Amino acid sequence: MDDLLQHFVVEARELVQQASDDLLNMEREPSVAAHLDGAFRAVHTLKGSVGLFDFAPMGLALHAAEDLLGALKGAPARIDADVIDLLLDCVGQTERWVSAIEQTGVLPPDAADEGYRLARALRSQLEGEAAPDGPAIADADGGWIEDLLAAGSRRAERTPNSLTLTAIRYTPRADCFFAGDDPLALLRSVPDLVHVRASHQAPWPPAAEIDPFACNLRLEALSSAGYEAVKAVFRFVPDQVVIYDVTGYEAAAGVEAGRDGSATRERRSATAGTSRTLRVDAARIDRLADLVGEMVIAKNGLAHIAAMGDGSAAREDLVRSVAACQATIDRLVADMHRAVMDVRMMPMREIFRRFPRAVRESAGQLGTLVEFSMEGEDVEADKSVTEGLAEPLLHVLRNAVAHGAEPEEVRLAAGKPSEVRIILRARREGDRLVVEVSDDGRGIDPERVRRAARERGLAPADRITLMSDAEVTDLIFAPGFSTASDVTDLSGRGVGMDAVRSAIERLGGQVAVQSRPGHGTTIRFSLPLTVVMTKVMTVRVGSETYGIPIEGVLETAYLPTSHIIPIQGAEAFVLRDRTVPLVRLADLLRIPRARDREGGTKVLVMWVGDERVGIAVDGFAGRIDILMRPMAGLLASLPGVIGTTLMGDGSVLMILDIPELIG
Amino acid sequence: MSVRLAGDAIVLEGPCRVEDAEPLLRWLQEKPGRVVDLTDAEHLHTAVFQVLLALRPTIRGEGKDTFVRDWMVPLLSAAQAPGAARTEG
Repeated sequence: MDDLLQHFVVEARELVQQASDDLLNMEREPSVAAHLDGAFRAVHTLKGSVGLFDFAPMGLALHAAEDLLGALKGAPARIDADVIDLLLDCVGQTERWVSAIEQTGVLPPDAADEGYRLARALRSQLEGEAAPDGPAIADADGGWIEDLLAAGSRRAERTPNSLTLTAIRYTPRADCFFAGDDPLALLRSVPDLVHVRASHQAPWPPAAEIDPFACNLRLEALSSAGYEAVKAVFRFVPDQVVIYDVTGYEAAAGVEAGRDGSATRERRSATAGTSRTLRVDAARIDRLADLVGEMVIAKNGLAHIAAMGDGSAAREDLVRSVAACQATIDRLVADMHRAVMDVRMMPMREIFRRFPRAVRESAGQLGTLVEFSMEGEDVEADKSVTEGLAEPLLHVLRNAVAHGAEPEEVRLAAGKPSEVRIILRARREGDRLVVEVSDDGRGIDPERVRRAARERGLAPADRITLMSDAEVTDLIFAPGFSTASDVTDLSGRGVGMDAVRSAIERLGGQVAVQSRPGHGTTIRFSLPLTVVMTKVMTVRVGSETYGIPIEGVLETAYLPTSHIIPIQGAEAFVLRDRTVPLVRLADLLRIPRARDREGGTKVLVMWVGDERVGIAVDGFAGRIDILMRPMAGLLASLPGVIGTTLMGDGSVLMILDIPELIG
Repeated sequence: MSVRLAGDAIVLEGPCRVEDAEPLLRWLQEKPGRVVDLTDAEHLHTAVFQVLLALRPTIRGEGKDTFVRDWMVPLLSAAQAPGAARTEG
């Protein structure tokens, strides 16, 4: 994906978010002009950046949304749930398109139809009261493309290179002649023109008042050259030109041509890769730059010490200088590490922002009244943690709407407000992040869970009977559990709370539930603020694979059997003139020892206390970065194991604590 | 000069530049009935083209260049046809 497109994706996401925030605020406070202005600006900017690419359907829909918002400015009384729904629909579709663009570089094949549908729906609101029964008049923006296509179609069929079609609308600035521009000269350099139209921007004044040096022309053209080729021609006047790839448009525009752009689309999507971007506060980058600057100074200090090594300085001076320099570098490395981790910190806001809309949508589909609020949007966590929370939280929020909320009459009878209150909170607790979703709904009935757990055989029946209510409630996280008798579109899509739990555990966190029947439910996630990766070396012993933290490993070597020296029932070998004890990992783990193959064994040399020790293994499997989980529960007392990690294939890798095993 | 007056006709020749727009406009303002001859025109600067589009004089000739012939002249003729009689003066 090129830089411009990448930038577009990032920016579009923000604008989409901004627009939907403002639209939701508009619904709540229709009289506050700032919300409408904000939404208008976001959609306008979005439409502008869409124009730089060949995403015509998106441009059409957004332009219609912009016009509608513009019209609402003059008539705020017309802001109602229907209008907001429609605008949110457009913004939501835009967001999906942006995701598609991020993945494939192009809009999905059905975008043309969808774009037209949205534009029509939005424009029908726009015309609304003015001409309720009148025929749909051609879209203000899409109209020119349709006209152009209709007018140009006869010629287009005759051109050999008719696979692609690009529409151009060039509105030169009035003073462009003074800048040396000749718009028609630019237009003539567009390859493969199939149609050209010229019109005026403002009506022509009487002949006597015509200013020959003020450009009042608008040029529209169709070219059968590709979008990129056309765009290149206008690269110096991007603000004055709108270019659309209208290849897939003939069908929508009602022009018979039977072309198909899907072949080119697929080709492009194959080459476009997805990439990860990170938006970072400039101050954090400055901090990193400062640290690098200090690092350079410290490095120069080293050069000075190296010069002292020529024998002129006393040994003590030298040692002292080295130690001082080492301390400085040590501090800098630690600071730098922290600064880099800071760069990766991302506020919850980034994912929380999308939730009001999602909750509103869910509530709308189920006809539930919801009052949703959020706290702690500024709490930061590592990017991987923050992003990893988005899906599980969305699921929990939808659950709260779908299952937590009881019918309105039940709520009123219980003396609760008719709107279900759902609160999403994030906060820091020490070095952990706590995120909670609370509702004041019906709560979880332990008896219902108990019954369901028995029916589904989640645990032996007698054990279920003995469980406390809290333990039973925890069973909602068990795989295969779902109490919702009616499967809605929202939850019950085969993704249960067990998926939520495993997603949180992958981030090194825990999930808990608290519920009081009749009073509500709180789902709590507790996660580390950062995900610390540990480098481990994987080794094979017999048929097993284990991990050993790489920081303890000094070197690896191959040791021929003939070099192993038996010493009083133990073994040792000589490594660079030092005798090193040799320990077999199989013996440490008390598993049967395989016979040394090919007359030797592989050895890891590690520090154990103050001593070098060789650890014989059957083989080295590789090095990996893992997210290590400390041993919990019964396993915590297992000696010699620091933690475990889940491997990509679902197996569990045990990370060994060699010194403890030998100890 | 790529624009000159020849009797009742205004002749545009070769590549017409932005500065040709002014004399062209002046001559058409003086006498709106003047014919514009594009037979030897190779390119019309947008400013020149704009004057012709706004005042819609009768056009003669098709131009020496394919762009002028294929796109500019048809546009000028199309604009001129319905409005020739109503040309503001």
